[in-house]
Amino acid sequence: MARETAYLSAQHITKDFGSTRVLDDVSMDVKAGDVFSIIGPSGAGKSTFLRCMNLLETPTSGTLQIGDFTITIGPGHKHATKKELATLRRNVGMVFQSFNLFPHLTVMQNICLAQRRVLGRGKEESCERALVLLDRVGLKDKADAYPGRCSGGQQQRVAIARSLALDPQVMLFDEPTSALDPEVGAEILAVMRELANEGMTMMVVTHEMGFAREVGDQVFVMVDGRIVESGDPHQVMGDPSHERTKQFLSAVLGR
Amino acid sequence: MEISALWYIAQGVVWTVAITVLSFLFGALGGVGVAGARVSAHRWIRIMARGVVDLIRSVPPLVWLFIVYFGLAELGLKFSPFQSAIITFSIIASVYLGEIYRGGLAALGAGQIEAAKSIGLGRPDLLVRIIAPQVLRTVSPSMATYGIGLLKDSALASTIGVVEMTFRANQVAQNTGQGLTAFAFVGVVYLLLSAPVGIWTRRFDARLREKYLVA
Repeated sequence: MARETAYLSAQHITKDFGSTRVLDDVSMDVKAGDVFSIIGPSGAGKSTFLRCMNLLETPTSGTLQIGDFTITIGPGHKHATKKELATLRRNVGMVFQSFNLFPHLTVMQNICLAQRRVLGRGKEESCERALVLLDRVGLKDKADAYPGRCSGGQQQRVAIARSLALDPQVMLFDEPTSALDPEVGAEILAVMRELANEGMTMMVVTHEMGFAREVGDQVFVMVDGRIVESGDPHQVMGDPSHERTKQFLSAVLGR
Repeated sequence: MEISALWYIAQGVVWTVAITVLSFLFGALGGVGVAGARVSAHRWIRIMARGVVDLIRSVPPLVWLFIVYFGLAELGLKFSPFQSAIITFSIIASVYLGEIYRGGLAALGAGQIEAAKSIGLGRPDLLVRIIAPQVLRTVSPSMATYGIGLLKDSALASTIGVVEMTFRANQVAQNTGQGLTAFAFVGVVYLLLSAPVGIWTRRFDARLREKYLVA
């Protein structure tokens, strides 16, 4: 029953940068445990949409709902309060294309900082949690290293651990493998696959068509700020109905 | 020249260092406000901050010193020479250090701030734990350069009667007629004060680069 109700919902999200409309009435409902992939050509607004989900980018208008938390943004509505932003971001983890670890903190400190400052966990508890997560991403021996001493793939795994440390209900991935060699990217995808199998609700902006097809429960094709097609990945990617989807898929899949 | 005359000059170092260190500290704090105003989300704050920065930088420090010491006295705000020097140099340092911070902030990039926000850190934590340590590291060489400049500018305080080193060297030069010795001596003391700052900053910077393995 609970799985039937939309857990993560974005309704009529519109975003203008100046006079340019980058998101045009985008809506999406994600059930708990679902993995959603968003694919599409560069500049389509995929990342902007993802960044609207944790309000790193404020939509021009629209409604967001994550779990029990709902917020409507637009003319006639108040801005999100500090408390609302904190609640939202504590429950929504995000992994960036460029990792964005804090270079002046060790791997351990990167993972503990928000546990202590945002969740108010003690030193021991947060360290324990960090070690469990580091073990899970295979980097227990890097706990005391600075990010500068870690490879790109290692940094991205630490970044995933940093997000998971807050026990988020949803994870957002913004092209997490795009800055990595394909081989290293595969390691990250393996970690994400494992997360998906454990039931994490995930929204993934990606150019990894294999991941979108095999791991995703649903795929959304975004073009020029609109969702042009969505549904079962095998269906959408195997037999696209929209002309623009066909063009995009034939370009990225080389057929 | 007698040793006692040189000793008299050297004692002025207390005032020289006091002006430099206090103004630098106040400037380092004030600079945070200046940098914050320069990158404020509110357009009018940015415009006003820009105006104030340009105004303060366009007028020579000596003129500001006279405005604070002689000018404000006319308006009934009387400060001692030492207080006037601290006020003037603190304000000027706030502006210059603020601009240095702003440069470091631009170099930090949006990714760090977004990552901090995405894990729910509030503004105070963002500033103290993410932005400040990284910006201070990148701008520490520029700050040291400015500090050395401030040390030299502190000699201007002699013009309003602060009995710091240059003022005393001038007194000795007038009394003995041995200007070359007196001023060469203060020159050496300024050199001895500034050299360690430069050396220490270069070491500090190199050590942090090695630790974090960053460019």
